[in-house]
Amino acid sequence: MQEGTILSFTTVRHPPEGFPAGPRVIGLIELEDGTKVTSPLITDNRQPTTIGMKVLPKMRLSRVNSQGLRLYDISYEIPVQKPVKQEFPGYVLALTGPSGVGKTTVSLLLSTTVGSYVERVPILTTREPKEGDADEYIHVSPEEFLALKNEGKLATFTSIPSRDEKRWYGYRTEDIEAIWQEKKTPVIITEMNLLQGLASHYGRRSILSFGLMPPGKSKRQMLSALLHRLRDRGRDTEQQIEDRLKNAEADLDFFKTRSELFDDLIVNDNVDTVVGHLGGLVLERVKA
Amino acid sequence: MQSPIYLTGTGQTRFGEHWDKSLKNLMEESIDAAIENAQCTALDIDMVIVANMLGEVASDQAHLGAMAASLLPHHPPALRAEAACASGAVALHAACAMLESGKAQTVLVVGVEKMTDVSAEKIAAGLMGAADAEKDAPSGLTFPGIFGLIASRYMHEFNLSREQLNHVSARHHKNAVSNPFAQFRKEIPAESISASPKVADPLCMLDCSPISDGAAAIILSTKFESSIKIAASQLATDTLSITDRPTITSFAATKDAMTAALEEAEIDRSDIAHIELHDCFSIAALISLEDMGFANPGEGINLYTDNRQPTTINTSGGLKACGHPVAATGIKQVIDVSKQLKASGKSYGLAHNFGGAAATCGIHILQSESLITNH
Repeated sequence: MQEGTILSFTTVRHPPEGFPAGPRVIGLIELEDGTKVTSPLITDNRQPTTIGMKVLPKMRLSRVNSQGLRLYDISYEIPVQKPVKQEFPGYVLALTGPSGVGKTTVSLLLSTTVGSYVERVPILTTREPKEGDADEYIHVSPEEFLALKNEGKLATFTSIPSRDEKRWYGYRTEDIEAIWQEKKTPVIITEMNLLQGLASHYGRRSILSFGLMPPGKSKRQMLSALLHRLRDRGRDTEQQIEDRLKNAEADLDFFKTRSELFDDLIVNDNVDTVVGHLGGLVLERVKA
Repeated sequence: MQSPIYLTGTGQTRFGEHWDKSLKNLMEESIDAAIENAQCTALDIDMVIVANMLGEVASDQAHLGAMAASLLPHHPPALRAEAACASGAVALHAACAMLESGKAQTVLVVGVEKMTDVSAEKIAAGLMGAADAEKDAPSGLTFPGIFGLIASRYMHEFNLSREQLNHVSARHHKNAVSNPFAQFRKEIPAESISASPKVADPLCMLDCSPISDGAAAIILSTKFESSIKIAASQLATDTLSITDRPTITSFAATKDAMTAALEEAEIDRSDIAHIELHDCFSIAALISLEDMGFANPGEGINLYTDNRQPTTINTSGGLKACGHPVAATGIKQVIDVSKQLKASGKSYGLAHNFGGAAATCGIHILQSESLITNH
């Protein structure tokens, strides 16, 4: 099937009988060979539809007739246009891993041992401040967070549902870019969604991406190591620890299912070794 | 024209909602008015041509030729013409052909449409019959949708703003105030046009001609003279589907019919004093003016924003404000042009009527007596 170009489009507010009620966007499409067709358009809320846009054919349920027969027809879809970063913006060091694996510790140590080369990026969050928080968080209201998100001022963001609210976490592009201005490498603590968002925002090759794994030969041993660390840390209730472990299992699976998102997986059995290894990599990049 | 064809009688019903009148009642009312107004009697009519699009859809009634003939005492021969919204112009054209050939000397042409008795969905589906059932309808397009596509492309190509487009319907509504046969005799400010509910973006409800009932009749004759004669009657066609055309911001059928009509009448475009054009949707008025050569492409709106024009446009209120009983419109336009010529004393007026997205276009040029006697 051929791709096409939108010659014109309209939103029919009252489609004919037999078609689904409600507005129906219909385009006049010119195909590659010059043939023109009228066809429903699948629009994309993230970008306004305009004349001249390229569209791709897609089979889609058009309507269900009075006998219950489902009629499929070709619609045309506007492909998602991700802003392609032409220039390489710089490296971002991303640390991903389950809760309790030592991401914060590693990032803190990195910023002290090779502090003139790396700097931690503050995490923007809507959750309430609590005791034991390092200076790593910037607390904002959900309204402020969503405003930044809608204005495209976040490099990546995610929401984590908790008992009574939806908590948002994210990183501001201005914080990351300010660190680049100082000729330093930003260090970011991520989880699966934040890492994917970051990779699509700056491009995968900008991310020095490391997965931190707890020590242990099996998943059970790894989870057990995490459990002990979380209890030793003393910041969470047993209930919270249980939740964190549930998420940890998914985080460990993520290392396998999305291995292309990681440059390397590092077992955090000795924090000094890990910091030394990562610090060395950063220095290597900076010199290159 | 070999022998002059005169408009000897004209008559019409008010256009609007006639829930108390059937297709036949409307037809009869307009025929009676035309006969009363004519030089001849009913018995002089030797042929009847009925223009109608939706008899079967809205009134379960076909065979309208015989129906119209049966309203006359002597049951003359009759036929029906259908070309969607251009049915009226096609019927007039067929009548001219009959008269020129000598097959008839006095022809009654009656356009009738009954649209308000059935649901909007049913009428919309019936009207969609004017487009290509294989190429246009399956995507879920309606007629406003087709003109929404046309308007959207036009605004893109010529940078026409939504605010500018408002002036078209506003002018038509203003003109209709003094027309006793118009469906909506109410002035509507320009800003209200785009504030009305969206129908098919960028078109709003007040960009669209309404659903109407009505009938219009004309008696044409080579035998009975009158002050108005037909100087040109031309038809042209284009592809049924807009998808088969090189452009949708210009209608080839209008251009072709116009060129042929000016040639037949042996006049220049600037000789035309009055225009009644087919504004089924506001955007169609602009495209039609451009295709007829009264404005350059993309500049049709200037004829609506600048009031100092030598040529009058849709003095009746057009399809927008008069109402649009589809097959009656082409005939009613000719009646309006004849009235305008009589009132102004000018020589030439033009009626432009199209069907679908101008897959059929009929143009009639009328000439008034003052010039005929000078010849």
